[in-house]
Amino acid sequence: MTQTLVPRSVPAGVERLPGVFLAVCRSEWTKLRTVRSTMWALVFTVISIIGLGVLLTALVVGQWDHRSLAEVTGFDPLLYSYAGLNVAQLSIGVLGVLVMTSEYSTGVIRLTLGATPQRRLLLGAKVLTFSVVVAVVSLISCVTVFFICQALLASKHVGVSITDPGVLRAVIGGAVKMVLIGVIAVGVGTIVRHTAGAVAILFAALLIIPGLVQLLPAPWNNDITLYLPSSAGAAMSAVVRFPNLLAPASGFLVLFGYAAATIGAAMVLLVRRDA
Amino acid sequence: MIEARNLSKRYGGTLAVDDLSFTVEAGQVTGFLGPNGSGKSTTMRMIVGLDAPTSGSVTVGGHAYGSLRFPLHEVGALLDANAAHPGRRARNHLDWIADSNQIPRTRVDEVLGVVGLGDAAHRRAGELSLGMGQRLGIAAALLGDPAVLILDEPINGLDPEGILWVRHLLRALAAEGRTVLVSSHLMTEMALTADHLIIIGRGRLLSSGPVADFIENSAGHHVKVVTPDADVLAVLLRNKGATVTVDGPQELSVQGLESQDVGILASGAGLTLYELSTQRASLEDAFMELTHEHADYKGTTQSLESSQT
Repeated sequence: MTQTLVPRSVPAGVERLPGVFLAVCRSEWTKLRTVRSTMWALVFTVISIIGLGVLLTALVVGQWDHRSLAEVTGFDPLLYSYAGLNVAQLSIGVLGVLVMTSEYSTGVIRLTLGATPQRRLLLGAKVLTFSVVVAVVSLISCVTVFFICQALLASKHVGVSITDPGVLRAVIGGAVKMVLIGVIAVGVGTIVRHTAGAVAILFAALLIIPGLVQLLPAPWNNDITLYLPSSAGAAMSAVVRFPNLLAPASGFLVLFGYAAATIGAAMVLLVRRDA
Repeated sequence: MIEARNLSKRYGGTLAVDDLSFTVEAGQVTGFLGPNGSGKSTTMRMIVGLDAPTSGSVTVGGHAYGSLRFPLHEVGALLDANAAHPGRRARNHLDWIADSNQIPRTRVDEVLGVVGLGDAAHRRAGELSLGMGQRLGIAAALLGDPAVLILDEPINGLDPEGILWVRHLLRALAAEGRTVLVSSHLMTEMALTADHLIIIGRGRLLSSGPVADFIENSAGHHVKVVTPDADVLAVLLRNKGATVTVDGPQELSVQGLESQDVGILASGAGLTLYELSTQRASLEDAFMELTHEHADYKGTTQSLESSQT
């Protein structure tokens, strides 16, 4: 209580922007790992990807001998393995939204912007730090579920090797899809600033709009569906080319486009608005 | 040093800050006073670059806040004492702020000690009392050992011991040559803490100067006289150039003459006095007088009183 301040000598030189960026990344990493919601969302993500993938693949293997020839010939060896990504994208989405909205709901945003007035750089550092965390967790989960599921499928001789054409790309594609969904979520959170609203918009885009688009008259329904975030993401983790999906590279470009547009809009608004 | 020049901020149709110019000097505590809703917080948010001015400019140490890199080494601010993630531990709350401006983690332990939160460092921010939260906010402001401190209502929620501690801390920081700007709506607290006052009402500058000048120049200083011959004395006093207010059938309030002059005048005319006393205006009265017309939210005790009579 009665302790006095210990003066500290700090060189007050002008810091270069790359140095500021690295410091903000470190700060954002500290923020992420010191709240419990991060850990729970990531645990849920891992369990969704691995648990659902293994469960559904095991069910398919159990029913394999009763399948028709048509079902067997069009079989994507990764389709069931990566079923969990559809659930995991929701937990990553919520976590991405919270990266920004939790700062607004708790007033921390004022400390954040006070510590780093360079707002574009701040959002960039937030996006990069969150992306690295999602990439690491998703990649570990995707690789793990791949090997477990292929071991199960190998008993029916329909498994694939990681070295087969398109397989490694699909495994990495699954993780990249998670990162891009997470980035979109950070952008939506920055634009909307309220957790409930941002989560509602994100879930509507991922879950509800695809269903509504299917109600449009043909061929609009299928043509538009190709370019929705959910379909573009699914294209990235498919090994077999489905007629209702884009090519993997095109799917990546479409989803990347959504992420870039969302973050671009978020940056404009973050700079323009009062905190 | 903080310099505001013709600072204005408009929210929709309301002008929250209206052409405000002032200078906050180093080495003293400057009290930033005004009724609730007078634009103190808005002004402080503009100083640290959170809100953009509609017109005008403000600089800290000669720089616009937005141009500073690692600004916490220059400016420490407490704008909202509740600004902490409730699930994050007090220590981690300071950790991320330190990281963002390359402040070494050893400094986190130092400031926790300075504000007396050393034992509560492991507690989650949501579990801290109002006063402890306030101390955590002050710790965050001190992290970068800044030359300029900006504190919005730092004694809110503090117990008497805490208030005394803040008062000593602010005085010590100013004595080290730092610039200290503290907002408050409590005039009495500022009288004890501040050297200089900037008073605003409805976003406009009402007064700026040393605390002592403010007390002396305030119009509340007057002589109270109770006499059966109030009418006669009032005429005599007015002839001497004094301003006389009739406070009751036998009571006068005199400005412009000292009590001894009033006494000599009364005895010369053979008037009886029941009471003769000098009334010193409290700072609170002076502040009320200055800001009364500028307060956005006034109580309505007058109408209550009249309805009872």
